[in-house]
Amino acid sequence: MSGVNGVGRRGFLRGAALAGAGLAAGGAAPAQGSPGTGGTVPVPGPALGTAAAPPVPFHGPHQTSVLTAPRRVTAFTAFDVTAGDRRELAELLRTLTARARALTDGGTPADPGITGPPTDSGILGPRLAAGALTVTVGVGASLFDDRFGLHGQAPRRLTAMPSFPDDDLRPEWCHGDLSLQLCADDTDTVLHALRDLARQTRGGMQVRWRMDGFSSPPRPSGTPRNLMGFKDGTANPDAGSAREMDRLVWAGRDSGEPAWAVGGSYQVVRLIRMLVEFWDRVSLTEQERMFGRNRETGAPLDGNHEHDTPHYAGDPKGDVIPLDSHIRLANPRTPATDGQRILRRSYNYDQGVDRNGNLDMGLLFCCYQRDLAAQFEAVQHRLAGEPLTDYLTPFGGGYFYALPGVRDTSDWYGRALLT
Amino acid sequence: MRSTTRTGAVGGVLVAGGLLAGLLLTGGADDAEAGRAAPDGLPHTGIEVSPSRCGRGWQHPHPGLQVFDLHNTSDTAAEVYLKNPADGSVYGEVEGIGPGTTRQLRIRLGRGAYAFMCLPDDTHAVTGPTARVTGGGPAGPAAAPVTEHDLIPPALAYQKWVGRGLDGLVGETGRLRDALADGDRAAAEDAWLSAHLAYERLGAAYGAFGDADGKINGTTAGLPDGVRDPAFTGFHRIEYGLWHGRTTASLRGPATALAAAVKALRDDWAEARMEPADLGLRAHEILENTLQFELTGRTDYGSGSNLATARANLDGTRAVLARLRPLLVTRYPELPALERKLDRAQDLLDGFRRDGRWTPLDRLDRRQRERADAVLGDLVERLASVATLCDARRTV
Repeated sequence: MSGVNGVGRRGFLRGAALAGAGLAAGGAAPAQGSPGTGGTVPVPGPALGTAAAPPVPFHGPHQTSVLTAPRRVTAFTAFDVTAGDRRELAELLRTLTARARALTDGGTPADPGITGPPTDSGILGPRLAAGALTVTVGVGASLFDDRFGLHGQAPRRLTAMPSFPDDDLRPEWCHGDLSLQLCADDTDTVLHALRDLARQTRGGMQVRWRMDGFSSPPRPSGTPRNLMGFKDGTANPDAGSAREMDRLVWAGRDSGEPAWAVGGSYQVVRLIRMLVEFWDRVSLTEQERMFGRNRETGAPLDGNHEHDTPHYAGDPKGDVIPLDSHIRLANPRTPATDGQRILRRSYNYDQGVDRNGNLDMGLLFCCYQRDLAAQFEAVQHRLAGEPLTDYLTPFGGGYFYALPGVRDTSDWYGRALLT
Repeated sequence: MRSTTRTGAVGGVLVAGGLLAGLLLTGGADDAEAGRAAPDGLPHTGIEVSPSRCGRGWQHPHPGLQVFDLHNTSDTAAEVYLKNPADGSVYGEVEGIGPGTTRQLRIRLGRGAYAFMCLPDDTHAVTGPTARVTGGGPAGPAAAPVTEHDLIPPALAYQKWVGRGLDGLVGETGRLRDALADGDRAAAEDAWLSAHLAYERLGAAYGAFGDADGKINGTTAGLPDGVRDPAFTGFHRIEYGLWHGRTTASLRGPATALAAAVKALRDDWAEARMEPADLGLRAHEILENTLQFELTGRTDYGSGSNLATARANLDGTRAVLARLRPLLVTRYPELPALERKLDRAQDLLDGFRRDGRWTPLDRLDRRQRERADAVLGDLVERLASVATLCDARRTV
């Protein structure tokens, strides 16, 4: 397990030499000796997922952070833009880009001397590790109202997230002009970035809602578990396959998006409370039949191992894997539904207790796709009324469009939209 | 098992780092100049701090981000500036370096001349040799230090302004007391708002008026019996009564006490001397209080006037800034932007007053509230620089 979680720490220890180098965000990159500090000590850490995640360069045609496997912690924050006009919106996005670049590149923050308070909160010490953080920025449908002259330029499918039949949405937890997802392997890294970004953009945007999440270590192996005890995300498309990502995740000209939006992706965020007290009173057999998987191994109920493929054709009446089980409805594994698959990047959340003293925890569901209607919504409609809904309350979230990548040092989030 | 291994490995690295740092500090300037990488990945230079050898050790000046390890070899605590010897502007400072201790100054240097200035606590400042840096990118920001001497005229002017405001406030709280004595609730409500805003305009942030502020404008925070606590006095006590249907007769006592407390403050103020170094802090902290107590509604006891208070606090901030302006013009390049943002905040807040009545905070819709938070939040980020620039510094 060595190395998977150690990149940030190695970056920290190795100093400036690492900045700008391709960074393995996950995966078992061997620890390398480092001239000048007398070698590097590999720092073991828990592995996440099973496959090595791709490197996370900040620049490129896509926000590669979309593809990276969930890291240990995340803060998902929706903002409303308070910039006064289009010029100020552009300024906001330039600032956001510059800070996101600096925070992901790492390095030592500049000191303002006597001309101001410290530019950095200091919670990560004097030096920021390179590659310890990923940043994903999206825009919501409300950004395309009449405030910034963007009317009519929204991505083709972008609307405000509708209320689905099993939802109980709370307005204070929904929507937003911008979405910002920060992911890292340590909570302090995420909070440092959030404080920095909010501070540097104080006049231009305000937090609308925020949900923090975490991804569990494999227990004992394989895909991390959700707070219902089941492995969650086993059947994801292969994020390492450019062809599969082009087909399922990245929106392009051929999907009818405006030119500025090419290379982006629809981001769906759903805040889903799990009624864990109720869930814990349900028999194991019933739990497993609702998911369609074995709780311990994650194997489909007709298989032996987590990554075994369920054979629905051999079980047409659902005797083994019920017809209304979650995995069977979500992904029937037919040629017709193959293009509906979504890239899930969910985290668990835990935020204290409700007024009745019940634990408030659940799923910070997040997924990416090139077409909202043909993918997420198609799956969501199939899942309507599934038995699992009795134990879940979706109460917030939003639809966003993850912007195309920042191509180089002179590019910025949304440049093609605003210029 | 895994976590144990991990902790062990991290511990090992930390030990190695500590050894490296130790070597650096004892290795002298040559090791540092030779570019031995410190754990922070930055080049280090050892600099001596003492009256006779101030700034010694800087053999090979070079541009870029770097660290100076300032070692005080004297027997008194000292302050150190890195300054531009031509105009005295300061790039960085480290205060209170104890005898025998080493503190770090992390700084970005560009092309230009630099000199360390050592300011021992009990003797005159000494400027060390000038070092010249050639090439490289831009240096970090610098500003001329503001001295206590610089701050005395604006502080006196501000203190007089506050004194005049307190004179007016004595009249206002007298009218509130009289309206309650007359049993005229409508007049009392008007007089309350007018008097309270007159007080808030004076910018009584962060204990500027000492204990008097608690009597005059305290909340129920820290009071065991809340709004029924006998120590709950002043504007908010009267506000609570007026807007919660208490009789005017029951508020006469608190109004009389308020008027008396204000009068006492006015008299004390005439005798007091304001600390000049506090002026810059005031410019910043008045609006910090606005964010913390007004835009959250914390101080609302029924009048719904938090936005009016915020507007008054903005006036109070401008009153400080107006006096500091001559010092800031040459030191704070962002001053014009700050002034534009102050205007914007004023326009925004004025927009919440309709037909002479202020909109209660909870009647703002989400967008309006976000705008108010953003505009004032942006202001305090900027005003923080005013506070650090106007900290009183020695130059001799």
